[in-house]
Parts: sequence; C-alpha cells; structure tokens
Amino acid sequence: MKLKKTVLLGALLAAAAFASAQKVINVLLWDDPYPKALMAMLPEFEKATNIKVNIEMLQPPQVLTKTAVAVTATSTDYDVVGIDEGNVPVFASLLLPFDKWPAGKVYPKTDPKSVTPKMLNIGTWNNVQLGIPINGNLYVWMTRKDLIENPTYRAQFKAKYGYDLGIPKTFKELLEMGTFFHENGIAAGFGPFNGGPAGVLSEAVFMWESHGTKFIDYTGGTFKVVLDEAKAIEGMEFYKKLMAISPKGAETMAHVERQAAFAADPKGVFSMFIWPAQIAAYEDPNKSLVAGKIAYSAPPAGPRGQAAITGAWAICIPKASKNADAAAEFIYWWSSKAVADKLIQANTIPARTESLTNPAYVAAKPWLPALAASMNVAASRPRFKEIGQVQDVVKKYWIMGITGQMPTKDAVQAIVRETNDILKKAGY
Amino acid sequence: MTFSRRRGTSPSGNVASRNGTGGYGSPVPFLIPAFLIVFAVLIFPIVFSFVVSLFDWPLSAGGGARRFVGPGNYVELVRDREFWNSLRLQLGFIFIAIPIEIALGLGAALLLNREFRGGRVVRALILLPVFFLPIVSGMTWRFMLQPRYGALNNFLLSLGAPEITWLGHPTFAYTAVIVQDVWRMWPFVFMLLYAGLVGIPADILEAAEIDGATSAKRLTKIILPLLYPTILTAVLLRIIDALRIFSEVYVMTEGGPGMATTLFSLYTHRQAFGYMKVGMSSAMAIFLLVISILFAITLVRKNMSLEKLEEQGENR
Repeated sequence: MKLKKTVLLGALLAAAAFASAQKVINVLLWDDPYPKALMAMLPEFEKATNIKVNIEMLQPPQVLTKTAVAVTATSTDYDVVGIDEGNVPVFASLLLPFDKWPAGKVYPKTDPKSVTPKMLNIGTWNNVQLGIPINGNLYVWMTRKDLIENPTYRAQFKAKYGYDLGIPKTFKELLEMGTFFHENGIAAGFGPFNGGPAGVLSEAVFMWESHGTKFIDYTGGTFKVVLDEAKAIEGMEFYKKLMAISPKGAETMAHVERQAAFAADPKGVFSMFIWPAQIAAYEDPNKSLVAGKIAYSAPPAGPRGQAAITGAWAICIPKASKNADAAAEFIYWWSSKAVADKLIQANTIPARTESLTNPAYVAAKPWLPALAASMNVAASRPRFKEIGQVQDVVKKYWIMGITGQMPTKDAVQAIVRETNDILKKAGY
Repeated sequence: MTFSRRRGTSPSGNVASRNGTGGYGSPVPFLIPAFLIVFAVLIFPIVFSFVVSLFDWPLSAGGGARRFVGPGNYVELVRDREFWNSLRLQLGFIFIAIPIEIALGLGAALLLNREFRGGRVVRALILLPVFFLPIVSGMTWRFMLQPRYGALNNFLLSLGAPEITWLGHPTFAYTAVIVQDVWRMWPFVFMLLYAGLVGIPADILEAAEIDGATSAKRLTKIILPLLYPTILTAVLLRIIDALRIFSEVYVMTEGGPGMATTLFSLYTHRQAFGYMKVGMSSAMAIFLLVISILFAITLVRKNMSLEKLEEQGENR
C-alpha cells in the first residue's frame, strides 16, 4: 500500500514537473489555407521542443483589431503575431527587433537571406527588421488553360485579332482576349477585386504602377502623393474597360465572389490575379471546377510598367512577450527549409527562395515559377500609420470612377486632394 | 405596454411615503446594489467614453501616445464630410424603414386580430424573422441578392427581366439594406401592436358597432387612438435599435459600394478599427447617444402627455 502511494506520488510529481517544464505560446494568425496547413504540422514541433503552441486564426481585419487591443508595450496576449505588411508601421514600436530575437535551441535562427529579397522589406520599418515575411503572397496571374488551348476559340480569335490566344502578357492582350471570351458568351473576360479598402487599393496601385506612376512615395523624409494625374486617369479608364467584360456584380467582388466566379461557375472567368495563399482552394478538385486547368504567370505588363502587388504577412514577436525564446524557436521552425518544403506540398507558398525555386516542385506546382517571376516585379502598397483612411478614400472614388458614377478625372483629383488632406493632418 | 407613473401602494392599501415614514425605513440601502450595477454597466461606460472622446487616442499603443484635445474630435467630426454622409444615411434609414415596419406591423395585427383556424400558428410563424441573428440575415440577403447566383435575380431572369447588381449600385444597395431590416423587424412591431390590440376592451368596439360605426370609423376613432401609446412605444424601441444597426449591414455591403451604405454605426466602427482612432470613435458614440436621448425624450414626453389627457378625462 505504501509502495503504491509512493509510486503514485512520484508519478504526480513527475507530471507536474513535466507540465511546468513545457512552455506554452499563444500565436495569432490570419485564417487561410497556409496557417491551416501549418497547424497540421504542429505535433512535430511540439515533440521536438516541448513547446505547446496555441494558434488562434481570425479573418485579416479581426487579426488587426485583436493585435491592436491585445498587444501593448507592457503586456501581450500573444507571443507571436502575424501582421499584414501594411500594418507593420502601426505596431512597429511594440515589436522586438529581429536582431534581438534569442538564438534557437533546436532550430537555427532564420537567415534573412533565405527570404526572397523583394519580400524581406515587408517585415521592416524605418530600416529595422521587425519580423520574418512568412508567405510569398503577391499578385500571380491565372489564365484558363482549357480556354486558350481550345482549337475552335484559337481559330476564331486569330481570325479576328491576328495573333494567337495565350497567356496575356500585356494589358492590350488581356483586354482583347477577355473581350473575345466575354462577347462570345464563353466566359467573363476578367475578375476584378473590389471588396474591401485594402483590396481596392491593391488594384488601384496595380493599375497606376503598370501605367507608370506611383501613388505615394517617401521622399525628403516624408510621405507625399506623387500620382501623375494623366497616367492615373489612363489606368482608371483601362480598368473601366476591364469592368465591362467582368461578371455581374463586379463592383463588389471580394474573395468569395471571385472564387465562386472563377472556380465554381461553369462559365468561369478567363483571366485574373490571385493571391497565391488562395491557390489551394482553386486547385482542390473537390471545390473547384477548374482544378488543373489554370495557367500561372506574372501579371501582364501595362503600357509603362509591370507590377505584382505584394500582400504578405510578417511574423513578429511582441516586445512584451514573456516567452520570446519559445516564440523565436517556433518562428525558426516555421521558416526552416524542411517546413517550407512541406508547406509547398500542401499547395501553400512560403517566402523561402530555395523552396520556391526548387525544380523538383515545379512540375507538380506550376504556380511556383509564376511566383518567382512575379517577385521580380514586386511592388508594395504605401505603408504608414494612417493608411486605413487613405484606403477608404481610394476605395470610395476608385469605385465611383470605374463604375461611371463619377468622371475618372474627378475621381483621381478627389483621391489626390483627400489623400493630401490626410497626410497633412498626420503631419507629413 | 405604456409608460406610467403611479404612486406605489402597500399591501394594506396605504400609499407609500416618500420620506420613508409609515414603518418601512429608509430605502437607500436597498437601492445601493441596483445603483452599483447601473453605475457599472451604464454610467461608467458613458462617462469613460466621453473622457476618451476628449483625447486623440490611438487604438494600438504602437499608434502613438494619447493626447488631450478637448473638443477637438467633435470639431473634426463636424468638418468631416463622411460623418455627415453617414448621419444622413442613418437618419434616412430610420425615417424610411420604421414607418414601413409600423405600417406592415399594424396592418398584419389588424388582419390577424380575430380567431380563425390555425391563427395561433400563423401568428407564431410571422415572428420567425425576428429570431434570425442579424449577421445570418445579412449573409442570407447578400447571397440572395448576388447578381449571378442569387435567388432574386434567378427569379427575375425567369420572368425575362435583366440581371440587376443589387449590391453594386449605391441606391439599390441602400434599398437592400432597408428591405433587409424591414423583413427582419416588422414582425417585432406586429408583436407589440397585436398585444396592444388584444388589450383594447371588446365592449367598447361592440358598443360602437351597435351605435352604427363603420369599420373605418372604429379604426380611426377608437382603435388607433387607443393604440397610439403602443405605437409610440414600438417607434421608440425601433428607433433605438435602428440607431445601432451594424452586423447585417457590415456583412451585406461592408459599407459599400464606395461609402454608399456606410451608416453612422459602421463609420464609428471604421474610426475605431480601421483608422485606429478611438477618440474620434468615442466622440461619434457620444453624438449617437445624444441623438438617441433626444428621440427618447420626444417620444416619452408625447406618451406622458397622452396619459395626462387620459387621466384628466377619467377625473371629469
């Protein structure tokens, strides 16, 4: 009896010691296939490090809100937070600089050079590296392979336009090919992205950069609107033409509607951009009618430039975290080559260059070369604390301009005027 | 349901004394717990919101330090075009949706204020939309109004009508938001008005009928005047609720297209969680509180003046 009690007590003490030795970290991430694929791999990390990871996934706007209320200079509910690139300036002062992250005990510290150079900037602010860009999320172009390879359509298109159907390389080709499919009732020509202020800003910057003008630049130590009015109007007018060959309801197309139009509608959409983070859903034969029928490329070039808008997330450690060492270990594991390779197998897109450019994956993951090509022309949206207000201004007038509710000239002038007001009030 | 002030009476029939005499002791100790709860859930949040509205207060600590600006946020709001736009949209929503809900609720209450086979089932089924969560209602309407896949456009197409982008056009989107609210909340008004109708003494209506009053006369001279306090109550409750509408509009349109359906509540939310300006958002919330109080005072005073007239009539 005494022996039994001793054994039981010893077991209880050992369990308590183990539990107290096990660290627990709380992680806040956005909700899409990428973090979900990561969650499936957590047991491997927890076994190797004895660190328990609680991941909370929310929709991107809620991640911003939750981070804003849960992370302060002196306390934090999360040891690791995923921050959308546009919001890094907002939280910069609350984040532990990368060079102060503890060394890993099990996994080596991430080498910043392992991240695709054009994406590394996403995790920095004021020349300080604050987080690791964790997904190679930027505009990649999708085109319906089955449509451009159809012999009948090829013959008809060539007869009308004088060149072959294919992946559109220029805006002119995009418009002509899209118009062909739209006018013949085969498919919608284009799938715009008009849901949410951040999405609209992405499309606006995409058009403006492709037409040779930036929107806001950091010059002379401050942010200034540098938009060339004529080029901006040209960009907006072109987008209006794309709207005319888009599905009904294009004015409010968000991610859900775009996916439904491209992947679930029997007619579908000829060509549009995708955030690579969502490719998994489009290539899932259980959810998509076009799985295996998509050709990927960098976005088509405009008359004066080619731009792939970035929309990546950086993984950061709040300064107030009391588990910075465990948090760093988790991030080093996540950004390692082994995990990146597995994430690619799950049709997601880490930001690790060698995984993205590994020839062994190209055959099975045709979007990887397109991603690499897009990264060569990556362009970021403006980043500063007041970007939320600027996004709303752009959304309001961009939508009015491209839907014809307002002349494009007036719309562009309103964007410039009100953005200047916001920058002035913010002290820039 | 009407508001009334009647002096309390004890079980023995004596009127309770205000200064605590008559053997009942001071009521203050018994009021303290209730006062504490009211303070915690009502007074303190309002006072705190007002204090926050006097600061330039970034939501995130990373957004900078708090800075006292006094009435600065209110001045900035008055100069903000979107503030006035959102207020116009919100008041327009109230003055369009609520009269329609009252009309539908009253019409249904009058129609169903009789015994017929299955009447109870019908009256219960009518209430179903009220039990929808606002967010579910918003999502359902969003899908129904989807131009390509939505039920409404499919129905119109079957009649030969063209596809309409309901939520892509500013006027249609605003109308859709109003229709959604009318659909969900007119049964609530019906419920209140039906209860009021049932409370009208049957002998008054019978006497009027015997005296030769037509249906229209009974409606306009007896039913509506007696139902007036209930209608005012329904209007007040609906206004208070409509001033706070958020979830269903957010999921239906997110305030778009552009800012066409960015009602006051959505713009308040955007100030806090989009622009990270809690001070501005609090100023808007205080503004909304003042509007709500003005509506409430106006309607309650109207109700109380009606009661005074009734009492004077009874005392003659």
